[in-house]
Amino acid sequence: MRTALTIWDGRISPVFDVCREALILDVAGGRVVSATQESLESPTPFGKVERLAALGVDTLVCGAVSEPLRRALLACGIRVHGFMAGEIHEVVRVIASGALPDPSFAMPGCRGRQMRRRGGRGQGRGFGGRGRGGRDERS
Amino acid sequence: MKRGPPEARRAPAAPESTPSGISTDSILESISDGVFTVDRAWRVTSFNRAAEEITGIAREDALGRRCSDVFRASMCESECALRHTLDTGVPVVNHTAFIVDAAGRRIPVSVSTAILRDADGAVVGGAETFRDLSQIEELRKEVLDRREVGDIVARSDAMRRILALLPRAAESGSTILLLGETGTGKGLVARALHDLSPRREGPFVTVNCGALPDTLLESELFGYKAGAFTGAAKDKAGRFAIARGGTLFLDEIGEVTPALQVRLLRVLEEKVYEPLGATRSEESDVRVVAATNRDLAAEVSAGRFRRDLYWRIRVMEIPLPPLRERPEDIPPLVERFIARLNVLKGGRVEGVTPEAMAVLTAHDFPGNARELLNAIEHAFVLIGKGPIGPEHLPRELLPAAARPRRPVNLREAVSEFERRAILEALRRRRGSRAAAARDLGLHKSTLFRKAKSLGLALPEEDGRARREGPDRPKGD
Repeated sequence: MRTALTIWDGRISPVFDVCREALILDVAGGRVVSATQESLESPTPFGKVERLAALGVDTLVCGAVSEPLRRALLACGIRVHGFMAGEIHEVVRVIASGALPDPSFAMPGCRGRQMRRRGGRGQGRGFGGRGRGGRDERS
Repeated sequence: MKRGPPEARRAPAAPESTPSGISTDSILESISDGVFTVDRAWRVTSFNRAAEEITGIAREDALGRRCSDVFRASMCESECALRHTLDTGVPVVNHTAFIVDAAGRRIPVSVSTAILRDADGAVVGGAETFRDLSQIEELRKEVLDRREVGDIVARSDAMRRILALLPRAAESGSTILLLGETGTGKGLVARALHDLSPRREGPFVTVNCGALPDTLLESELFGYKAGAFTGAAKDKAGRFAIARGGTLFLDEIGEVTPALQVRLLRVLEEKVYEPLGATRSEESDVRVVAATNRDLAAEVSAGRFRRDLYWRIRVMEIPLPPLRERPEDIPPLVERFIARLNVLKGGRVEGVTPEAMAVLTAHDFPGNARELLNAIEHAFVLIGKGPIGPEHLPRELLPAAARPRRPVNLREAVSEFERRAILEALRRRRGSRAAAARDLGLHKSTLFRKAKSLGLALPEEDGRARREGPDRPKGD
């Protein structure tokens, strides 16, 4: 499995849309077999998506990611584990174990995100509002 | 994960007071700008009410966390405003950026910063204020009517495939034919093709070929010289000239008469045209995107559209699916329309209930996105705030069994027809009684009497009444 981790200042980069670097990890047998640092500098945000696809990344662990980019990533077959925060060495340790960062790594205000995503639409809040939980369906 | 040292997670110190005795915290809680403060380790130490609202993050979740994980702004990584201020002592004022909220929405903000010092003058951290520019951005886009690729709603596979195709189609420079029913977004796609093309810096000019009679369309497209006909006092540039270096969008090209089809064919093939009354040809330097809601192949077979022109304009053909074939695009479209109408009409509509969304997604929308927009606008006139329920949607959208007040005899059927005609005229005329009466061929006092007998409450004359608005029947 090839996992990309967007990085900045020793931590997960806060916003994928403007991130500049990624750590590309190949994990096998419960350990990291290769780790390379790759530039994601691109004139457009979609260039970052194309770069990750070209690198053969299966899974992306990143910070906040805007919806159009998340959809573009999914369209390229890249699984997105977004809205994560934390120190790189801690996240790498989790990934090396064959897992992905759990909700304790979630960015503030995003802890229930994974559960809501599977919960489907509605939940009595209606659609289209600006309030929290207004748009909660994700693939 | 680590949440920072315990001291950073504790509640802010006791609030200070202004000379008038009002606490600083009270002031911060009352303002509409988001404000947060950080310590020297970039941990959030205070987070006001507006900051909670704009970011969607509760104060207790934000306190003690790294500010970049909370604020998630486009500037955090490369040009952090607070870091700049703490490093240089120079405040940042109204720097624009965007933040990404938990739903993946980009929220435009303007950011200002300041240094925080203790009683001895030592720097203890920084303060950042930020203002949500979403509404201003919506207004700006509405005013400019500028559409970008990101404005095309594409949650469905069908639309996503079209979006994926656009960059290459735009790059090609070929003439493109957009096919689709009314309201399927042909104008948006044409605009996107221009924005993605090498001609993006040039003008984007639209001509609705179906809206003008043939002679007028000819002079509109090609222009004329002074004296070309009675009333032509001076030269007038046509749309081909205005669009020079850019894109000319010929909407409803299926409506063009055979005579004009010949002229269009020539300009597309030879890249030259003559303004009316001109003695010299002018060179055409435009990329043409054409659109129609007709079945042009059938028009060709029927002899109403030139075969050679058909093949010339459909170098690449992009069929746009109707909304009924992509119901998954309805929720994001509804969301977008509500956001836009909230800005334009000053409403506070929060979305639609799941029941109303079920009604919307079940409707086949022969008028496509435009009809959907009309339905949402109809609901806006009725409520103005709160969620939109099924009862606020136009009656024709409701399943037959759910429609209230079904007529049971001829008199009731006539009354029902009159009622709908009046409501529709008022909606179309944005609540103006006089304009609606004109449309209906009635004197406005007759309209008033008729509406009263039907139990409809009319708006004020200026059409601005909303809550008691134009199509809010009494007792509904």
